[in-house]
Amino acid sequence: MLSSLRTGVQGVLRAASRNIQTSAALQHDSLFVHRDTPEDNPDIPFEFTEQNKKRVDAILGIYPEGHKRGAMIPLLDLAQRQNGGWLPISAMHKVADLLKLPRMRVYEVATFYTMFIRRPIGKYHLQVCTTTPCWLRGSDAVLKTLVEGTGCKVGGTSPCGKFSISEVECLGACVNAPMVQVNDDYYEDLSIEDTKEIIEKLKKDEKPKAGPRSGRFASEPLGGLTSLSDPPTGPGFGIQDALK
Amino acid sequence: MLRQPLSRALTLSSPVRAAPLAARPYAAQAPPPPEKVEVFIDDKPVHVLPGTTILQAAALVGVEIPRFCYHERLAVAGNCRMCLVEIERSPKPAAACAMPVMKGMRVKTNSDLTKKAREGVMEFLLVNHPLDCPICDQGGECDLQDQSMAFGSDRSRFTDIHFSGKRAVEDKDVGPLIKTIMTRCIHCTRCIRFASEVAGVDDFGTTGRGSDMQVGTYVEKMFLSELSGNIIDLCPVGALTSKPYSFAARPWETRRIDSVDVLDPLGSNIVIATRTNEVLRILPRTNEEINEEWLSDKSRFACDGLKRQRLVTPMMTDSRGNLTPVEWEDAMVAAARALRDCPPGKLLAVAGDLADAESLVALKDLVNRLGSDSTCTEQYFPLDGAGIDLRSSYLCNTKIANVEDADFVLLIGTNTRFEAPLLNARIRKAFIHKDTDVALIGPKVDLTYEYIHVGDSASAVKDLATGSSSHEVMKRLEAAKRPVVILGADQLKTPEGAAILAYTQELALRLQDKLEDKKWKVLNVLQRTASQVAALDIGYQPGVGAALQAGPQVVYLLGADSGVVSRDQLPKGATVIYQGHHGDAGAAIADIVLPGAAYTEKRATYVNAEGRAQQTLVAVTPPGKAREDWKIIRALSEVVGQRLPYDTLDEVRDRLSEISPALVTYGDVQDNNYFAQARSLAQSLQKPVSGKVDVQLKKLEDFFMTDPISRASPTMAKCVQAVIKQKSSKY
Amino acid sequence: MSLGKIFALDKVATFFNIIRQNGGIRASLYKLYRQDELKDGTLVGEDKYGNKYFENPRFFYGRNRWVEYNDKAYLNYDGSQVPAEWFGWLHYKTDLPPHKDPSRPKYKWMADFTENMSGTTGQYVPYSTTRAKVEPWVPKSKSS
Repeated sequence: MLSSLRTGVQGVLRAASRNIQTSAALQHDSLFVHRDTPEDNPDIPFEFTEQNKKRVDAILGIYPEGHKRGAMIPLLDLAQRQNGGWLPISAMHKVADLLKLPRMRVYEVATFYTMFIRRPIGKYHLQVCTTTPCWLRGSDAVLKTLVEGTGCKVGGTSPCGKFSISEVECLGACVNAPMVQVNDDYYEDLSIEDTKEIIEKLKKDEKPKAGPRSGRFASEPLGGLTSLSDPPTGPGFGIQDALK
Repeated sequence: MLRQPLSRALTLSSPVRAAPLAARPYAAQAPPPPEKVEVFIDDKPVHVLPGTTILQAAALVGVEIPRFCYHERLAVAGNCRMCLVEIERSPKPAAACAMPVMKGMRVKTNSDLTKKAREGVMEFLLVNHPLDCPICDQGGECDLQDQSMAFGSDRSRFTDIHFSGKRAVEDKDVGPLIKTIMTRCIHCTRCIRFASEVAGVDDFGTTGRGSDMQVGTYVEKMFLSELSGNIIDLCPVGALTSKPYSFAARPWETRRIDSVDVLDPLGSNIVIATRTNEVLRILPRTNEEINEEWLSDKSRFACDGLKRQRLVTPMMTDSRGNLTPVEWEDAMVAAARALRDCPPGKLLAVAGDLADAESLVALKDLVNRLGSDSTCTEQYFPLDGAGIDLRSSYLCNTKIANVEDADFVLLIGTNTRFEAPLLNARIRKAFIHKDTDVALIGPKVDLTYEYIHVGDSASAVKDLATGSSSHEVMKRLEAAKRPVVILGADQLKTPEGAAILAYTQELALRLQDKLEDKKWKVLNVLQRTASQVAALDIGYQPGVGAALQAGPQVVYLLGADSGVVSRDQLPKGATVIYQGHHGDAGAAIADIVLPGAAYTEKRATYVNAEGRAQQTLVAVTPPGKAREDWKIIRALSEVVGQRLPYDTLDEVRDRLSEISPALVTYGDVQDNNYFAQARSLAQSLQKPVSGKVDVQLKKLEDFFMTDPISRASPTMAKCVQAVIKQKSSKY
Repeated sequence: MSLGKIFALDKVATFFNIIRQNGGIRASLYKLYRQDELKDGTLVGEDKYGNKYFENPRFFYGRNRWVEYNDKAYLNYDGSQVPAEWFGWLHYKTDLPPHKDPSRPKYKWMADFTENMSGTTGQYVPYSTTRAKVEPWVPKSKSS
C-alpha cells in the first residue's frame, strides 16, 4: 500500500521534472581510487622512525627469503600506527620499496582491508557497533551520544580533529553489547553515562577504563553464575541405584 | 591467486601455457611424461596427463565449457565461476578451469546442476553489467553476449523496480590506446594477469572488496607498455576497448584479411579488418611459432598511419624544384630517361625497411640489366669474412618459438623489448616459467625481467668469445644445455661491427659444438627491419656507405626512408627516384616520385628475422594512382627498354625461387648449416675491440615511431606524448 | 477537294511559304540545321530571354505550339530554358500567353527564372562533409 503510494508520488514528481537516469551512489564510505589531496600525496615524504625501523627489520626477519611479501600487512599496520591512525600513499610506496614489490600490489592490500584507513582521521577512531545484538541493547542511543558529544557526523571527523566516528558491523563482542571500539580498545556494556564519560576523558586525552562497564570482568553472567555454581559431581552421579 | 608470490603462481607448469609441442621440437626432450589417467567428460572417455584441468580435458573431446577469467596463456584465476561443472559424487559443482582431473572422474557439462550453476553465475554477472550493448564497441565480439545467449537464463530476477540503478564505476585513463568503461567490467582479472605476467608492467590490480571492488591502477597512471593493446583482445566484455577504433565499426561489417605485419622484424601474423576500402584495425592472428596470439602496439595501432602522408600520385620536380603531381606516363618517361642516360656504374638502388621481396628482386634485375651492380639496403651488415654469403650469419637460427626452451639467453647490444617485442615476451616467458636466466651486454635498459648486466663495453664480447672472461656469465654459458646468443643488428653499423660479429659467432659456435643436443642452434642475429633478410637473400649489399662514395648519378630509392641517403652525400645534379608509399625522408629529396603500395595493399613476400617467408594479402586497394611495387618496376623496365621477363606475380615468384627456394616456401623455416665455415672465415676478423655497445631504442618513447608508417600515425604520436607525460607524473 | 490538293500542289506552296517566313534559303537551312525542322506559324510572343513562341493550328495537337530558342543558345538549347510563365502555354495548360493573361500574379519577391544547369560546369554539386579517407602527402615547397 505504502509502496504503491510512493510510486504514485514519484510518478507525479517525475512528470514534473526531467527524468534523469542515475546510478546508485558508491556504497562504501571510502573511495577505492586515490585522489591527490594536500594531506595525502606522493610528494609528502614518509620514513619509518628509528624505533620503527628496528621493528621493520624484526617483522621482515620472520618471513623467509622469497616470501617477504607476507610482511606487507604488518608493515602497513606499523606505518599506519606511526602516521596517526591512517595510511598515506607515501607510506604504501615505502612499504612497496621495502618489499621490492610493484606498488599496485600494496595498493590492492591496503584497499582490501577496512582497517587500513586511507584518508586523514581523528586521533580517536570511535567505531560503534550497530549490528543486531548491540542495536537491541541500545547502540542507537550510544551512537547518538557520541555524535552529540563529539560534534562529529557518522563517517566524518570532528571539527577539533580529535574524533572520527564510524558505524561498523559486528566486532565480536555481542555478549557485552552495546560496545564501542576506540583505536585498539573495546568499551563494552555501555550506558549513555558511560559513553559521555568516555568522551570527556578522551577530550582531556586521558585513557578511559577499557572493557565492560557493568562491573563484569569479561563476559560472565552479570548477577553471578546461574549454572556450574556447585563443585562438579563425582563419578556415578545420576545413575540408577540398581546399576551402582 | 594474484596475491600469491608471482614467481610461485607462475611456476604452476600448465601444459597449455607453453606453445604446442609441434612448434617446439626441443620440448620433447624433457623427462618422460607420467602415465595418463582416464576421465569421462559427458561419458566420453579421454586420456590425459595428471595435472590437466577439467576444462583442458573437455577441450580435447570437443566439449567447450564457458569461461570468462580462464585464458590458456595466463595463470589460472578461477574467479568468474562460469566454468562450474558437475562432477559425479561431488556435492558441489567445481570450477573446471582450476580443478585437476582425477582418475576415473566423471564430469557432466550438460547436467541440470551445471546448467543451473551457469545460469546463476550469468544472472549475477548481468545484475551489475550495464545493458548498453547497442553503444558498446565490444558488441558482436563480446564473450558476455555470446555466453549469455548460449548458457544464460531466458529471464532475470533483476527488475530494478525502485530505479536504484546498477553499480557504477568511474572510468580510468590508461593512455591513448585503451578506452576504459569500467562499469562494464566483470572482474575476470585477465588484464591484470596479462600486465603482470606477459607485459611485465605491474600497474593493474583490483582495489576494494565486495561489490565495491574495481579493476584499475588505484593512482592516476597510464598503462604504457609495448604490448598493452593485447588486453583489448583479452577483455571478454567491453570494459577495455580500442580508443582509435572506438565507434568505428561492428565486427560483422568488416572484411577480415589474413596478413603479415612488417613493422618489426618478426613478421607477426595479423588479421586486417577493413570496410569500404579502409583499414579499420589490425588484430593478431595466432601463430604459435611467431607471435602466439599477441601483437605489439606498433603493429596493432600504427594502421592509421596508412591513411596519412600517402603518396597518391606520381610527382616530378618542376622548373622551380617543387614536386608537382603528374601523370604516370610523364613520370615513367622521365624516370626511364634518367635511368637510360645514367652511366652504367653510376646507378644506385637503395631498398628501405618495408620493401617486399618481389619488388626487391624486380629492382635488382632491372639495375643489373642496366649494367650496374650497386643495389644496397639501408641497414648495414659486415661483408668481411663469410659476410652475407652464409644465411646462418644473419638470421635468428634458434627460431622464435625455441627461445622459450632455452636455459640461458645472452643478449648482445640489443633491446629486444623494443626491437622485437614478441621475442622479448618469449624470453620473459622462459624467464618466468622455466627459470631461464638472461644476461645483457649493452646499455642498461628495462627488459621487463631481471638480467645479469655484463657491462656495455665491446671487449666483454671478446672476453666471452675467447673464454678469457672471469665473469659469472662465462660459467653459466658453458654450463647451459640450450644457450641462446642474440646479437642486435645495430652493433654491426659501427666500425667494430665486423669484429663483434666475429666474436659473437666464435662464442656461439664454440658453445654449440659442445652441446649434447646437436640440433640446437645458438647464434642469432636480430635484424631490425622486415625487409632486410629478404634483401640479403636476394643479394643486396648491406649498407650504402661505399656505394655513395662512388658518386652515383641516379639513385633509385625503394621505400628508403631512414635517412641514410641524403642530398648532401650525392653529387650535384644527381637524380633521385623515390618509389614508396609514404612521403617521408626519401620522397622529400626525390626528383621523381612513384607511388607504391603499403603492406596492406599488396600481395607480397616478406622474410622475417628467422628466415621464414610469409606473404601479405591485399586488404585494400592502393590509394589514388598508387600501384603495386613490382608492377611499377616491371612497367618502368619496359619504358627503359630492358623488359623484365615476368608479367604476373607467379612469374615473379618463380624468379624468387630461382634465387632461393626459401623465399617462396611460405610459413616454413629451414634449418641453417655451414656454421663452422662462417666461424672459420670470421677467425681473421677477431680484432681487439674497445668501443661501447649501444642500442638505438632505449626507452618506450623511442619504440613507437620507427618507420614511415608509424611516423605518419597520429595514434603513435599520441603514444609518444603519453609516455612523456607519464614521465612527469609522480606515480 | 481542289485539283491542287489532289496533286499536293498546296504543299509546294506551303514549302515556299515556310522558306519565305523563315527568312530565305540560307536562313532556312541554318534553322533546319539548328532545329531539325522547319515550320511556319504565327509568332505568339517572345520572352525576356529572346525565345520566340509560335503557333500553327495546321499541325496536329501537340505539335502546334513550339518555341524557337534564342539564337545565342545555338545548339545548346534545352527544354528547361523555357521560363515558367511560358511553360503553361506551351504545354496547353492555358491558351492565354503570359502577356495576354491579366490574372497572373506578379510579386516583387518572385525570383528570376534559371534554367537547369545539370551536366554543365555551372551545375550544383553538394560539398562533401566527410573527410577524405586518405590524406595525401604535400611536399614542402622549396622555393616560393
